Amino acid sequence: MPDLQGRIVLAGVGGQGVIFASRLLAEAALAAGAQVMVSESHGMSQRGGSVAAHLIIGDEPGPLIRRGTADTLIALDRLEGLRHLPVLRPGGAVFINAVEGFPEPVRARLDELGVSVCQLDADGEGLRLGSPAIANVVLLGFLAAHTSLGLSLDDLKHAVRGLGPPPAVKINLSALDGGARNANDPDHGHCARLRPSTVALEQASR
Amino acid sequence: MGKQLLLGNEAIGLGLIRSGCRMVTAYPGTPSSEILSSVIRYKTHAPEVVYAEWSANEKVAFETALAASWSGLRAATAMKQVGLNVAADPFFSSAYTGVVGGFVVISCDDPGPHSSQTEQDSRLLAHAAKVPVLDPSTPVEALQMTGFAFELSERFQIPVLLRPTTRLCHSRQSFNSDAVLFPATAGPQARGFHKDPQRWAATPAFRLKLHVELVQKLEAIEQEFETSELNRIQGSFGENGSAPVGVIASGVAFHTALQVLRDFGANIPVLKLGTPYPLPRRLVADFIRRCERVIVLEEPDATIELQIPDRTRVRGRLDGTVPQAGELTPERAAAILAEALDEAGFPVPAPADERLTALVQGMAVPPRRPRLCPGCSHRSAYFAIKRTFGPQAIYPGDIGCYTLGTNLRAMDTCLDMGGSVTMAAGFYHAGRLLGDERPIVATIGDSTFLHAGIVPLANAVHNDARFILVILDNHTTAMTGTQPTLASAVGTDGAAALPASIPDLVRACGVRFVREADPYDQDPFQELLKEAHSFTRAPEGGAAVIIADRPCAIFDPTPIDAHPIPVTVTEECDGCRYCVEAFECPAIVLRPDGSRVDIDLKTCVECGQCIDACYKGFIVPQVELQHA
Repeated sequence: MPDLQGRIVLAGVGGQGVIFASRLLAEAALAAGAQVMVSESHGMSQRGGSVAAHLIIGDEPGPLIRRGTADTLIALDRLEGLRHLPVLRPGGAVFINAVEGFPEPVRARLDELGVSVCQLDADGEGLRLGSPAIANVVLLGFLAAHTSLGLSLDDLKHAVRGLGPPPAVKINLSALDGGARNANDPDHGHCARLRPSTVALEQASR
Repeated sequence: MGKQLLLGNEAIGLGLIRSGCRMVTAYPGTPSSEILSSVIRYKTHAPEVVYAEWSANEKVAFETALAASWSGLRAATAMKQVGLNVAADPFFSSAYTGVVGGFVVISCDDPGPHSSQTEQDSRLLAHAAKVPVLDPSTPVEALQMTGFAFELSERFQIPVLLRPTTRLCHSRQSFNSDAVLFPATAGPQARGFHKDPQRWAATPAFRLKLHVELVQKLEAIEQEFETSELNRIQGSFGENGSAPVGVIASGVAFHTALQVLRDFGANIPVLKLGTPYPLPRRLVADFIRRCERVIVLEEPDATIELQIPDRTRVRGRLDGTVPQAGELTPERAAAILAEALDEAGFPVPAPADERLTALVQGMAVPPRRPRLCPGCSHRSAYFAIKRTFGPQAIYPGDIGCYTLGTNLRAMDTCLDMGGSVTMAAGFYHAGRLLGDERPIVATIGDSTFLHAGIVPLANAVHNDARFILVILDNHTTAMTGTQPTLASAVGTDGAAALPASIPDLVRACGVRFVREADPYDQDPFQELLKEAHSFTRAPEGGAAVIIADRPCAIFDPTPIDAHPIPVTVTEECDGCRYCVEAFECPAIVLRPDGSRVDIDLKTCVECGQCIDACYKGFIVPQVELQHA
């Protein structure tokens, strides 16, 4: 297997679990044998303001990702996603928790740049699963189902088991599965360009 | 333990424990707070041999740990950069006296600034104090440098500053904790404090001798830094041994530069300096001589650059090549390096897609500013203060979560720790000179009051300054992660401790109007504010202190959970925005069309405080609505 590599930016609002989501991906990458660097926001910025985490997988002790060079943007909030779009490189992918898509001129430019836009109402899926607080993990399940990071759904499940007490593990595992299942459901998850992986869908149904 | 992710501050904590450090003291402050927290976690393996303390302030922390060093133990103290200002007095003096057991001062700088009043450079303060500095660039390097810092400190009997920055403190890096990065040592054999008055209690005549010694130590340390492994060249010179462009970088800026150069495919020499002070001047001059132009990338100020004797070929902050304020982001580093490389004839890739950036900027996505948490007792106190005294009163404020009281327009100044009390007194005396009789209502948190508010309060009372001081006592140091304060009944380790009494301290300062009240009881609290105001105006009156007593809703939600008050917004809500602006609770959300507000059940903690925030009575308890 080639070395895992990637530059991932996670964006959202304080309280949405941006830091937890970045921890989860980082632990999964670490377990897969990669070197990892994650940059977090603490302090004042955690009080309900914009929060971003930068995750670099590979031998690159960053710690920040330069605008125009991220492979993946994970946005737990539509406006924060919009704000952070310029971080993506041409051909990158954005996974966004939103009901409404990006405004037309932005969408058109993303298309010209070859950026995949993968959209899921992760809040809605979280509510269906019984907790509005798990949208972050739902979105990661949705992302894993598209294999664009080289981390499988099972890799993320393994990482979830290592983080947090058993009740949280249980709900987070269901969140990963819920997100992954939506990858194949045209009523909920939309993804231009990227196709869901059948392996991930099998892992989600187990 | 195997492979794990280590937060920069945890790496430093681990480095302290592995180095056999026996005492670590700190006052919490972003981005430094997790250093002592992790020491407390790691030391559970050896609780009886390591003493950890959340001290009252940075000066207290510094001097307490210094005494351990003078007793022959390895010791360290951790703080944020503005905390080093508070500890500057012993910092400067201890450079002269020197140390016995290794003594490491950790001061975390905050380029940005993300969570600080200033972007000051602790390395420059160390330069002024003549204390050597180590500047780590990653969490793992910070761990290694911690071990080296003790060893250096002991060999030269000098304090050593370890200076990380926010991006290092709050980055997690993969790390194999089984790896031996430096030998675990216990330091020298500690013999307890050994009397030596000419050193430890030196008079000015001996101080001169100590200063001469200090200068000699620094000269020897500079010599050692010339060949230190902490300084190295990455990338390469051309075949003729020279390069058109070179970079000198330290700290996080080193990896930022490497990332940019790798993206650009530019192989140029980069001198990585782990020892910015004293600067190994020969090493640096040799490097510069081999380059036609050298860019210095360091944060947050020009510590290295200022020490370079001949800056003819050097570009950096001093000539404006590097912006003089703000974080050295990858975008800024890329722009600086692109220009230098382009001039030298290197191909430089285009920056990020300008059209996408312009489109997104054109959308004018509103910035999301930080706000007080749902259920925060500070919001209730500020709401009462604002309702009682209106926009005319002068509101000196202080440092903590409650600095967000500025959003509620109930805080006019925020200077430094304890500045609310002193400035309230100053505004009073200035007002007397000017005939300005506006009420003055100062606010300060419990931890900040205990850090730097007591002496100012005694000073104000002694000089008959008339103002109201509201001590926002939420029972914890909330902003930095709910560390205990001196008034907590638990100590640093979580064991029982004797709490200082804030009301007794206030009375001991000579204050005769001292009341404790729960700011959740909105009407009585407003009445109390009026009573306090009368006391400040009475001829026989004086300064008045109200202790707003209510625990932080994050630290201790039990009082809210015991009496939940779920609320709802009635049909009549007309979207007047009063509650949104004057109360600013994250759980009160204005609809995008501005027609009305709703309660966001995801974030609402059911404190019921917003019922008072709608003066029209449209925010009501849910029970009431059901009965109606």
